[in-house]
Amino acid sequence: MKRQIIKIALLLIMILGAATAGFAQAKKPTIMVVPSDVWCNTNGYMTTYDDQGTKVKIPDYKRAFQESNDLLAVISKINGMMADRGFPLKNMESVVKTLESERAENAVLTSKSGAGVSESPMDKLKKVAKADIIIQLTWDVLKTGPKKSVRFTLQGIDAYSDKEVATAGGTGNPSFSAETAVLLEEAVADKIDNFNVGLQRHFDDLFANGREIIIRIKKFDSWKNDLETDYGGKELNVVIEDWVRANSLKGRFSNTDATENTMLFEQVRIPLYDANGSAIDARGFTRGLQKMLAAAPYSIVNKLTAKGLGQAVIVLGEK
Amino acid sequence: MKKHSTIWVMLVLLITGFSTNVNAQTDKKANAATDAWRYELEVAGTGVQGTYLLKVWSYSKKPNVAIEQAKKNAVHGIIFKGFAGEQGILGKPPLTTNSNLEQEKDEWFNAFFADGGKYQKFVSLSSDGAIAAEDRMKVGKQYKIGVLVSVNVALLRKDLEDAGIIRSLSAGF
Repeated sequence: MKRQIIKIALLLIMILGAATAGFAQAKKPTIMVVPSDVWCNTNGYMTTYDDQGTKVKIPDYKRAFQESNDLLAVISKINGMMADRGFPLKNMESVVKTLESERAENAVLTSKSGAGVSESPMDKLKKVAKADIIIQLTWDVLKTGPKKSVRFTLQGIDAYSDKEVATAGGTGNPSFSAETAVLLEEAVADKIDNFNVGLQRHFDDLFANGREIIIRIKKFDSWKNDLETDYGGKELNVVIEDWVRANSLKGRFSNTDATENTMLFEQVRIPLYDANGSAIDARGFTRGLQKMLAAAPYSIVNKLTAKGLGQAVIVLGEK
Repeated sequence: MKKHSTIWVMLVLLITGFSTNVNAQTDKKANAATDAWRYELEVAGTGVQGTYLLKVWSYSKKPNVAIEQAKKNAVHGIIFKGFAGEQGILGKPPLTTNSNLEQEKDEWFNAFFADGGKYQKFVSLSSDGAIAAEDRMKVGKQYKIGVLVSVNVALLRKDLEDAGIIRSLSAGF
């Protein structure tokens, strides 16, 4: 009787496990609309700084959001239409504000003993507005005599592979009387469905062929070995490449760069779920490689960092 | 007198039955034309948010059948065919990317596109059925009628997603 109860309990646990795996959801990419450099430059939302004698212009997003009503209206329209499709976007203006308030909070946060929040230069560098897919937005108003029209472009760019995964653009009908704001609204309504078709194609590809990620291998200069060091008759770079080949989906990847100090794996297709049915991203996938390198016979101390869902970096030699 | 009345009643019943049969035949032919993709979609403007404004060219021996069939053709075209754009307005790809969807879900679509079916919920005649002279052409024994329709694509897409016919953008996440 007791044995039977155990058997039934085990069966129930198995069924429950299978059902959970079946309902597991892949990690959802974040998307954010960002005004393009061209738009910021054309409309005067740039700031200049001196980089060791060279004047460098970078977009001043904060000022653009504070001063351009049209930008606010267009982004709000796109966000609204994407939310209607069940895919709400990150609002860049809010992200910038949150980062600023977090920076201020960290500066004053102390424990009872007077300790502050630890933050490395790398942590500070990574505190920028980011998303897995950036929708780059550009428009300009074209004028022919009294008629004006809007040339409008949306580019969906994968933040890791830099591939343009969706696009929609074109010039709207010229009008004598319509306000620019109305022409812009019309442009968004006209283009967003075509853009979403590209996005859907990208997601379909992701579910069919796995997530595309980038893996970088680097070494600290304090480490006496390098990627050409022999381990059991194999150079370390070959060991790493073999691991990527064995673990990527259908062995799909490109080893774009390989030197004694660095390796770059691009277009690495990884499964959306691990063996337990949990959703994974670049970091989760690369943790396997990290563990292998840390264990015997390699015993290499290493540090794993990640950028969003699609980029992981392993630095060999130290933590 | 009684005999005369009976003959008249029978005659009326015969004519009514015949005309119903003819109408049913015309509707059947119109549906067959839809299934055979015998219609054309032409973009007619940018509709309000979530809608497409189209001119649908349909064929039938009876103009009123072609007008009614235009609604069905518009929804059919938006789901399976898409349409080309023109100066200033982008064309739109079909809602489905699966080219075999109509065969795979034929039972569902048969009910959806049946006369009086659910497709009617998503489409309305933009000009209250009034047809401009240049949009009414005689091609052989048939009429080719151009009808302006407005299709609520946002609602149509949502309905198809909820029924599991097409994938939503956030499906799987």
